[in-house]
Amino acid sequence: MSILDEVSHIEQDAIKRISEADSLDLLRELQVQFLGRKGSLTAVLKSLGGLSPNERKAVGARANQVRELIEQKIEEATSRLSSAKSSSSFDPTLPGTGQYLGVTHIVTQTMNDICGIFERMGFQIARGPHVETEHYNFEALNFAPDHPARDEHDTFFVEGGRLLRTHTTPVQAREMEKRKNDLPIKLIMPGRTFRHEDISTRAHVSFHQVDGFLVDEGITIADLKGCLNAFTHAYFGEGLKLRFRPSYFPFTEPSAEVDVACYLCRGKGCQLCKQSGWLEILGCGMIHPNVLEMAGIDSEKYTGYAFGVGVERPAMLKHGINDIRLFFNNNLRFLRQFN
Amino acid sequence: MRISYLWLKELTGLEWSAEEMAERLTLCGIANEEVTSTAKYLDKVVVGEVLEVHPVEGASRIRRTIVDVGREKLQVICGAPNVAVGQKVPVAQVGAKVAGEVEIKAAKIRGVDSAGMICAEDELGISSDHAGIMVLDPSAPVGAALKDHLEYDDYILGFELTPNRGDAWSAIGIARDLAALGGVTVKRPEIKLRESLEKTSIVIKVTSDDLIGCPRYAGRVIRNIKVGPSPWWIKKKLLTAGIRPISNVVDITNLVMLECGNPLHAFDLEQFGSNEVVVRRAIQGEKFTTLDGLERTLTSQVLMITNGKHGVAVAGIMGGLHSEVTEKTTTLLLEAAYFSPIVIRRGRKELGMVTESSARFERGVDPNNIQYAIDRAAALFQDICGGEVLGGTVDCYPQKIESKQIALRPDRCRAIMGTDLPAARMKAILEGLEFQVTGEATLAVTVPTFRSDISTEIDLIEEVARIHGWGNIADAVENVGPLYSPANAEDIYENELRRILNGIGFDEVLGHGLADGRLAEMMNPGLPQVKISNPVSDDLSIMRNSLLPSALGIASHNVSHRITDLRLFELGRAYFPPCSGRDWTEEERLSLLVTGNSPANWRDKARPVDFYDLKAAVETLALHYHLPTFEYVPTSVAYLEREISFTIHADGQPLGIVGKLTDQLAKKFDIRQDVYAAELYLPVMMRLSRALGKFSPLPIYPAAPRDLAIVIDQSIKVGEMLDRIKNVAGPLAESITVFDVYAGKQIEQGKKSIGVAIVYRSPERSLSSDEIDAAQQAIMKTLRDEFRADIREK
Repeated sequence: MSILDEVSHIEQDAIKRISEADSLDLLRELQVQFLGRKGSLTAVLKSLGGLSPNERKAVGARANQVRELIEQKIEEATSRLSSAKSSSSFDPTLPGTGQYLGVTHIVTQTMNDICGIFERMGFQIARGPHVETEHYNFEALNFAPDHPARDEHDTFFVEGGRLLRTHTTPVQAREMEKRKNDLPIKLIMPGRTFRHEDISTRAHVSFHQVDGFLVDEGITIADLKGCLNAFTHAYFGEGLKLRFRPSYFPFTEPSAEVDVACYLCRGKGCQLCKQSGWLEILGCGMIHPNVLEMAGIDSEKYTGYAFGVGVERPAMLKHGINDIRLFFNNNLRFLRQFN
Repeated sequence: MRISYLWLKELTGLEWSAEEMAERLTLCGIANEEVTSTAKYLDKVVVGEVLEVHPVEGASRIRRTIVDVGREKLQVICGAPNVAVGQKVPVAQVGAKVAGEVEIKAAKIRGVDSAGMICAEDELGISSDHAGIMVLDPSAPVGAALKDHLEYDDYILGFELTPNRGDAWSAIGIARDLAALGGVTVKRPEIKLRESLEKTSIVIKVTSDDLIGCPRYAGRVIRNIKVGPSPWWIKKKLLTAGIRPISNVVDITNLVMLECGNPLHAFDLEQFGSNEVVVRRAIQGEKFTTLDGLERTLTSQVLMITNGKHGVAVAGIMGGLHSEVTEKTTTLLLEAAYFSPIVIRRGRKELGMVTESSARFERGVDPNNIQYAIDRAAALFQDICGGEVLGGTVDCYPQKIESKQIALRPDRCRAIMGTDLPAARMKAILEGLEFQVTGEATLAVTVPTFRSDISTEIDLIEEVARIHGWGNIADAVENVGPLYSPANAEDIYENELRRILNGIGFDEVLGHGLADGRLAEMMNPGLPQVKISNPVSDDLSIMRNSLLPSALGIASHNVSHRITDLRLFELGRAYFPPCSGRDWTEEERLSLLVTGNSPANWRDKARPVDFYDLKAAVETLALHYHLPTFEYVPTSVAYLEREISFTIHADGQPLGIVGKLTDQLAKKFDIRQDVYAAELYLPVMMRLSRALGKFSPLPIYPAAPRDLAIVIDQSIKVGEMLDRIKNVAGPLAESITVFDVYAGKQIEQGKKSIGVAIVYRSPERSLSSDEIDAAQQAIMKTLRDEFRADIREK
């Protein structure tokens, strides 16, 4: 056996035995056995004297390489064995003692999510009074006094001739009037609305809405569709189909309801979408010329679109919440699920 | 509204499936909500003949029958009172599934085998009738599938119509949209009337004394009517629409209404009481019994049909009991009228009722379709009830309602839609909807009177858009409008507040804004309230004038659900009516509430929260927004404990209220633990908030910390003492903090020991111990002199 073969033999033997070692004591023994003053590799190095200068150089380099490898293997094995059998009493598995992080109400979160998407498209947030005038809630939005569409807005009236706004759209009427000489206007209007309803799993006296609108020259249905497509995909997910169903709102014409393909079954039909494959999420349309004119905006020169989306409903859809009352009960076991 | 699929197919000739028809209608604005097969529950249901009926021993309500179903004779137990030998009846055989998803199985009832069920109409999904088993025509072939015998393999299409589309509340109305979509024309049923020589105008006169409420009133008289059941083809159309067949006369009026949208009413002319019809408003307080048997007290809002002496019907809403058609009726007065939508709407609201008729009048029926409707009904009375139709129609219609003319600019239409739709396509769409269109550059459009919803150009554009289909308008891919919109400052502020409060362990809650007026009055006596005139309940009678009742309600809900350690906040509004010169106001506020124990973990034990936990939260906000120093001014508020009740002042302005709720109030909310709450005024807080200030150089000279242990009377306010220390120490004191408060053993009763740490430092030089000692001596002297303090220096 040449000296080089012997070095290789020591190398293989050492690697095998180090990897099989099951205690730190044994590792220490192996260290001595291979690298110690009387160790087998040390013995090889000591025997170099009898070799030619060329051989000495070759064997020396090889032996040193093996020594480094054995040292490295022993080190690795040592850390493996010491972490497995730590004798330290320190326990990192106890829970941290930090402070509890409070939760933002799911309605606020949803409203912020919705507004955030529109804000990135250049919409600015505007707010208005909850106790509204009949004028801004209805007349300025083209609801004639005996209009059957008023039946869909069960209204709380307030002593002193006002009412609780039934939608956030009155803010649109107010802002258009205020900014009629400062066009274009591009606003998103989140907030609280009220309906005179009996409280049940599906209805509450109060809920939230986000309305938005844009008035400028040359605004079309195509722009409206593009904007709502972008929103829906940002909020519910890419690739979901939308459909625009012509509908009726007094303050927009043409008007449409927007359905998004059910994100759960992707249009096949499931319990969430009541087998229809669609979820109704938005109402929209081109701002009615009467509404523009009432605000003092030239409806021949300017056009605009408007839309409204609920807050509780998308939140219920997205998180599978089945009772609208949960939002106002404020049970912390419910709210904290959205931290 | 519900309508038969086959009916729509018959009117349009379109070969679309029920699903396709439903989908296309949905996408043009007639929202489909239901497609139900009429034969859903008719599988394995056959025509049977009742051969024998026997009592069942010990069971008086059921009987044992033998029914011939062709292939075999079945023994079936039947509970219906009307079962009789010789009847042809629908028999659900074993394996059939009837309404309610009940599967028929072979069973033993009271020890008797029963191999099927003789069905009532509701069990077959035909109607809601469960009065007895359905009795079929005697000619029905035994053993035939019921579906085939009845030719009842149809679909019910259910629609949710928008309030503007009064024209679509009929089969023809919906068929018109289908025709426009499919490029066909609606095939109306042909009318073949054989009028007798006797003139209607000799028999009856009609007058409208209220041309606003009733612009048109037409009548016909039909003699020699034989009242009886309707033929099955009429019943089917009514049943699919959810209308119960009653008798041929009533069914025909309903059928014509369903077909063309004009509600009709048939009076028994012999019971009418005169030979003239007068339409007028009801006299205030007039009593009238409608055909549902209820006596109603009317107001002058309600339009009446009278015989010149007294009322015979509530116009457009419901007929009267007295002149109702019965089995004995032989002569009919048939009414077809046009009533004002607004008058009908007000009237039915006044009476608190909605009928098929009022729903249609309210949304606007076609005043110029009345002749068609009355002739169609008359022809059916002639053909089906053997009636003799008198010559001509009496028609009070002094001011004809004309079609509107509207100009449509194709450019404008394209500018709204964002498409390059050609004018020819617009014309085709409108003509498909039965509008008349002439002109090229600008289209001159004549709007048929059944489309009362259309009065301006934009209405026509909507028609074009909905028939063209929104789906066929390409989405814009570029953003439009302003390049940049500045952020809303309030919104940013509120979201920042939320993050801070969440970060220090407060959960956000939301009150809905409605509150109990009595409770609010108790908490803030005399504070103005926004009162709701039509509350849904007593505890939601006002808009809250403070956020605290909401906070307490929410705390109460949680405590009752055993969530007792609460740190809550709400950002919301308090509402005020106009008073003392102020207009209606809505104030943005922040409420904070703490109760229960402090957050605890395996190392830090829980302790009850107190005023200082709440104050800490307020101080965190003050720190973040660089608010001026707060002053806690004792204040007297009905809902706070007298001792722990403060107005927070900053820069001399009230910023809010903080304190401990009275036990009495907490108890009202079923909370039996201490509750601390604050309500801050956001606009004031925002106004006082300061942005980040200027940089100050970091200290280069060493600090000299000194501690004092100060024993003073319990009654002395630490804050006042600290103010004095600060004052005396002057600019050399970099910070003054309280590190300990102690009362108890080793301290004289009535006294407390306060540990105060003072750090001295100068930005200009190292302080000598003499300077610091002098400062300490001055402080101690002041404390001894002014606060009678006993001091130990450390």
